[in-house]
Amino acid sequence: MTRVWASKSGRFSVLLPAAGYGVLAVVAAVLLAFFIGQVALGTYVLSPAEVWAALTGSAEDMARTVVFDFRIPRALAAMLAGALLAISGAILQALTRNPLADPSLVGVSQGGALAVVSTIILFPAFPPALRPLVAFIGAMAVAALVQALSDKGRGRNALRFILIGIAISSFLAALIRAFLTYGDIRDSMSALSWLAGSVHSSGWQDVAIMGVALAAIVLAIPAMARRLAVLQLGEEAATGLGLDVRWTNRALLFASVALAAVAVAAVGPLVFIGLIAPQAAKRMVRTGAGMHLLLTALTGAIMVIAADLAGRTLLSPTEIPAGVVTAIIGAPVFLLIMLRRNA
Amino acid sequence: MGRLTISFALTAALVVLAALFHMSVGAKAVPLSDVTGAFTAFDATVMDHQIVRALRLPRAVIAIFAGAALGMAGAMTQGITRNPLAEPGILGVLKGAAFAVFICVGFLGLVSVAWIPLVAAIGAVISGAIVFAIARAAPEGATPVTLVLCGAAILAFLSAVLMAVQLLDETTFQNLRVWASGTLTGAKLETVYWALPWGIVGAVIAVWIAPRVTAMAMGDEAALGLGIDLTKTRAWGFGAVVLLSAAAVSVAGPLEFLGLVVPHMARMIVGADYRAIVPYSALLGALVLLLADIAARTVLAPAEISTGIVLALIGAPVFVGLIRARL
Repeated sequence: MTRVWASKSGRFSVLLPAAGYGVLAVVAAVLLAFFIGQVALGTYVLSPAEVWAALTGSAEDMARTVVFDFRIPRALAAMLAGALLAISGAILQALTRNPLADPSLVGVSQGGALAVVSTIILFPAFPPALRPLVAFIGAMAVAALVQALSDKGRGRNALRFILIGIAISSFLAALIRAFLTYGDIRDSMSALSWLAGSVHSSGWQDVAIMGVALAAIVLAIPAMARRLAVLQLGEEAATGLGLDVRWTNRALLFASVALAAVAVAAVGPLVFIGLIAPQAAKRMVRTGAGMHLLLTALTGAIMVIAADLAGRTLLSPTEIPAGVVTAIIGAPVFLLIMLRRNA
Repeated sequence: MGRLTISFALTAALVVLAALFHMSVGAKAVPLSDVTGAFTAFDATVMDHQIVRALRLPRAVIAIFAGAALGMAGAMTQGITRNPLAEPGILGVLKGAAFAVFICVGFLGLVSVAWIPLVAAIGAVISGAIVFAIARAAPEGATPVTLVLCGAAILAFLSAVLMAVQLLDETTFQNLRVWASGTLTGAKLETVYWALPWGIVGAVIAVWIAPRVTAMAMGDEAALGLGIDLTKTRAWGFGAVVLLSAAAVSVAGPLEFLGLVVPHMARMIVGADYRAIVPYSALLGALVLLLADIAARTVLAPAEISTGIVLALIGAPVFVGLIRARL
């Protein structure tokens, strides 16, 4: 079932695939369930009534502290990081028309990771609180480098961008490996645990920064979706349809990279989300580009929050970083989706 | 002589030169004349001849073998997945090897290092088989997209489990972190002997199906029109990738990047025909790995860097240069 919504002048119109809204509702409900679980469960278990009391302000101080200072920011940080990485991956995949494209494939995650790992190993006394800033700078610097290297004339800019991104990310990964291999073993372990990706210590500040980034991108989705849809037809066709391909490519690349950089800065390099969430969303229901971006964002959010919940409850009191769990759970689930669905 | 023949002859000559140079550098510099002398007029009483034959030759042979195998594996991977970003690593094969080694050493308490090559090869084969089986079971079958996505999923899964293992077990991480970065240190000629059969079978398959892979590069319809069985060709190609990667990883550890860069370099030099790309990737892979290993042993001498790390540090800028010049 597809309806068309059009503005009075007919200048704007949107295709509304009804099936998409059904799936959207289900996915949003799943996300909400995980959010409640994340807030209620843990070493200090709260009943739904207690959670409600804490939220409405009538609970005792202990419950309020746990809920507001630890659980909610952590849950929100997980959801936001997942959504940002997923959208970042979706944009990159659409732009390059390659299902393998992913923020961690073009060096953004590695840029952030190298910046942090090198500070951990070279300056063990560096305050951990500044790691997000270091990661963000590293990620953006690498993205700028890749963009500068791949910017040349017209034509297959997206493919060049991703190939150069791969080269740079391998280069950075080798440097990271060199630090891990030849650094002091204790610093290496510390760097390794940051590399595993964790929302463990996320606070309201991370939530605020990622929230602003997500709000900005959600506002841009309608405009972005139209351009992505046109780009799907190929760069020549898009140019023929009057799209400024060069400018669009750059703007979308920047959006994609910035989103990933924000997420990596907050929670470390969570791999796999940007790669898998867009593909999983695509296989849930066929929709237009805008709805696909929304579904992708929710899928990414579910992946990270579910991973964090599993990581801190299943083997409690040992905590497994969310980045590790995301892949361990996400990969089989993704394979099941792929096997079931006739795409 | 055609342009192709010249490229091949020139590269082969460079491989020989690089191998000689590779054997002459090291903790003790051996003059090139003594390196050649060790083969043409071997004298057991000459110290340099002994060094070359007993220590340097095995390492050079392993570099050539692993480089050639990974070069061909990379070419086949890009051919059957029709994806310029694909490499054996993305199909989960190399990570499968690393995973098997970490599990065996960390949890099963495998003490002898001599078992690492065998364990790595088995891990590569098993993970490759799993990736192909799952892609095959997908509704659309083993297409380029399903192969790559299954590979990426298995890769992410194995990486995550490996990460967890490393985090929980510091001793194993410490013992294996050099091996896991891909290295030719401590290379023994014996491991090549039994990795050789697999490598040769993989290479023969790769060369045999190369014409069909070339046809597939023009698109599924074109290949079907030529009467090519797509699934069968991909299965054979995948088998070649797994055998070649297993052979390489067993002698040199999980060397990434080589399988990605070498086929691109080959394509830029010999064109789009896999009948030329596959053998040329073998030559080029051997050359690149020899050069990387020379750098690994000399740049920070007497300290030695992992070959895998050097490979990426040198290969990446070269790759960027090639892309900027040719694409």
